[in-house]
Amino acid sequence: MKRALTLTAMALCLGTAATAETFRWATTTDPQTMDPHAVSSAPVLGFLNNVYEGLVRRGRDMSIEPALATDWEPIGAGDGWRFTLRQGVTFHDGSDFTAEDVLFSYQRASSEQSDVASWFSPVSEVIVVDEFTVDIMTTSPQPIFPDSIANWMMMDSGWAAANGAELPARDAENHATLNANGTAAFMLAERQPGLSTVLVPFDGWWGDVEHNITRAELTPIQNSATAVAALLSGDVDMIDPVPIQDAARLSETDGVKVVQGIEARVIMLGFAHDHEVLYGGADAGAPNPFADVRVRRAVAHAVNVDAILQTIMRGNAEPASQLVSPAMRGYSEIHAARPAVDPDAARALLAEAGYPDGFSFGLSCPNDRYLNDESVCQAVVGMLAQIGLEAQLDAMPVSNYWPELRADNFDMYLLGWSPGTFDAEHPIRFLVHTSGERLGTWNFGGYSNPRIDEMLPLIQSEIDDAARQAMLDEAAGIIQEDMVYLPMYVQPLIWGTRDNIDLTQRPDNFFILRWVAVN
Amino acid sequence: MLNYIIRRVLQSVLVLLVVGLVAFAMFRFVGDPVDNMLGQERTMEDVERLREQLGLDQSFVVQYYRFLEGAVQGEFGISYRQGRQVSEIIAERIPATLELAAVSGVFALVLGIGLGVFTAIRRDGFASNAIMTLSLIGVSLPTFLIGILLIYLFSVELGWLPSFGRGEVVQIGGWSTGFLTQSGLMALILPSITLGLYQMTLIMRLVRSEMLEVLRQDYIRFARARGLKQRAINFRHALKNTLVPVITVTGLQLGSIIAFAIITETVFQWPGVGLLFINAIQFVDIPVMAAYLMLISVMFVGINLAVDLLYVAIDPRLRTEGKS
Repeated sequence: MKRALTLTAMALCLGTAATAETFRWATTTDPQTMDPHAVSSAPVLGFLNNVYEGLVRRGRDMSIEPALATDWEPIGAGDGWRFTLRQGVTFHDGSDFTAEDVLFSYQRASSEQSDVASWFSPVSEVIVVDEFTVDIMTTSPQPIFPDSIANWMMMDSGWAAANGAELPARDAENHATLNANGTAAFMLAERQPGLSTVLVPFDGWWGDVEHNITRAELTPIQNSATAVAALLSGDVDMIDPVPIQDAARLSETDGVKVVQGIEARVIMLGFAHDHEVLYGGADAGAPNPFADVRVRRAVAHAVNVDAILQTIMRGNAEPASQLVSPAMRGYSEIHAARPAVDPDAARALLAEAGYPDGFSFGLSCPNDRYLNDESVCQAVVGMLAQIGLEAQLDAMPVSNYWPELRADNFDMYLLGWSPGTFDAEHPIRFLVHTSGERLGTWNFGGYSNPRIDEMLPLIQSEIDDAARQAMLDEAAGIIQEDMVYLPMYVQPLIWGTRDNIDLTQRPDNFFILRWVAVN
Repeated sequence: MLNYIIRRVLQSVLVLLVVGLVAFAMFRFVGDPVDNMLGQERTMEDVERLREQLGLDQSFVVQYYRFLEGAVQGEFGISYRQGRQVSEIIAERIPATLELAAVSGVFALVLGIGLGVFTAIRRDGFASNAIMTLSLIGVSLPTFLIGILLIYLFSVELGWLPSFGRGEVVQIGGWSTGFLTQSGLMALILPSITLGLYQMTLIMRLVRSEMLEVLRQDYIRFARARGLKQRAINFRHALKNTLVPVITVTGLQLGSIIAFAIITETVFQWPGVGLLFINAIQFVDIPVMAAYLMLISVMFVGINLAVDLLYVAIDPRLRTEGKS
């Protein structure tokens, strides 16, 4: 055994010596395309941030910083934004980055085939002022427009035209699906979907190089146990994510370490606000109790979030009081308190609402979407039982989950929300505003409040920070008061790396290679 | 004879059509692909438009008809997940699965027959009893557990073999092979054992019981009485006569090795069609699921058809029945 261990140690040393600056990492999901405008999902945008760049980008602390634009300022009293472009930037194929490429990237990203078109819904026109100045005109004042386009990536118009990739390929294939030509620190060297994707440093990058990687290889590993084994055996240098149940064990293992933070995603319970009758449980067909705010508050007093975090999340997550985490812009400091755990108060509220003996209903839950989602729902079922509410758990894969929610087949449900703009306005737009074609598209419960609907456009166009925050505070207050959702916790982010790796973890779960150092 | 063959071929085609119909009827229970294809900021218009583009607003019968229309022209559509030709993706992935299946098939056959003969000859020896007991584990432990155990032993603890993937592969024409590089061969070891273990124990137990049966026969006794060498008796006379059922079982198991590679491929992140299928289910990638299921059913139907036709060739009684 001792000999075997020595051999292993030797093999590991040899392995690391030979590949000193080759960095290999594994994620659960393979980025499904290399097209920066075809799919708006974290695995795709996160990966492509290493290859493509936007006018602005997010720093280590998520703040907006200059990237392909060196400067930006509002035009007039909120007519739009003027961006001054960085000079001397070249794409990986050597062609220059100019204002024409910005215009082209706008047309491409706002086209019908694009999945990121919603970022440009307030944009009326993009004007090329000169080779390095672009005006983006908006229909109303857009104070956080630069924040909202941090993932809008610039593509070379000439390259796209030459390769027939002028439009994003969502349900078709084109050159940009498998190839990339950005301006960022890394170039795509090899792309085998689902197998491996190789990046190499781009020598002509405009920025200061902080990493020491000569080659980076991404392999998707779906099975979390396999991923942990690959990290332990040194076959990969970093895995994302580490299963919660393995985090403690890994952090005690020699040669590897666990990097932890919290994600931008808030996990919450949603309610059926506008249903006439209950959908599930033994009382299906009876009038819907969740239309009554007292019942929703009773649920809030019954769910012991700290206990859930201690047991199911093993202390790796933080409780949430509102729809965004404290790290987000527009978080409401004055509404940071959570409802107290108080089963007696909950029972009193139920009695007041006319349900002294409780009732039975259906709780819908995904089982493959959020960390330990089904276990969390099971814990909620147990806690609600203590106040006489009998929740019948219906857990299902996420592909079945959204259609069920859209079809109103729920009484209470679990939802996670990560605001794409890192701003408190985002969940109000999608989760709280009255459900419609473009707004409130994830407001499954059908909550509707004229004051929220009235405030949303005002929040979106308010330039004065203090006035904007005052409205966001008011909205957060209404959402808490009406218990529109019961926010539970902010989902943790757990990565595992070899001991010799230094990296930066950002709450958007983007893995930025240029911050990696292999020691 | 010709009549019989035509009838069997037609039956096979009918089976394929029914499999496809059932598959398409099931797909809508797998979920809605549109949610996976669009980001969280999509509008309801986007959802409706994409659903219409993909033809998901049609009934499953219409969807199936469209699939068949494409399939007979060799067109399996575009993967929802990868946005690439399904036929291209499957062609990329199938060498990995076939190589894995071939190696684990050989492993199962060679070791299964060898150990089967051994345990039959030394039926009460300590070693053969130990092998028989261990083989029970092979039958009863689930594949993913065996895989994970092997990974922890040989990759994490001992560091001898890679924990996942195919290693380096060499492209020969459209075929990617792991047989020509050292890392490719090393990567084959653990997944092949995992996939072939069940088949190996099955063959071993089959060979053992057949051997025990044969060894009791009179001609073996006479062979012994003639003073033939023990080895010649065991291998030339006894083993040969046990191989008929073994070959039948092996043929049938070959299909299931390929079809059940799904679990092994997931555990070892083996980039074959099984892993592709699992991905497709999670994403509700209907074109990939449909193509994979058709591929597997064509394979099974093909094997069965071949077996049936072989029976006819071998057994004259079936031929006369075909006539009447």
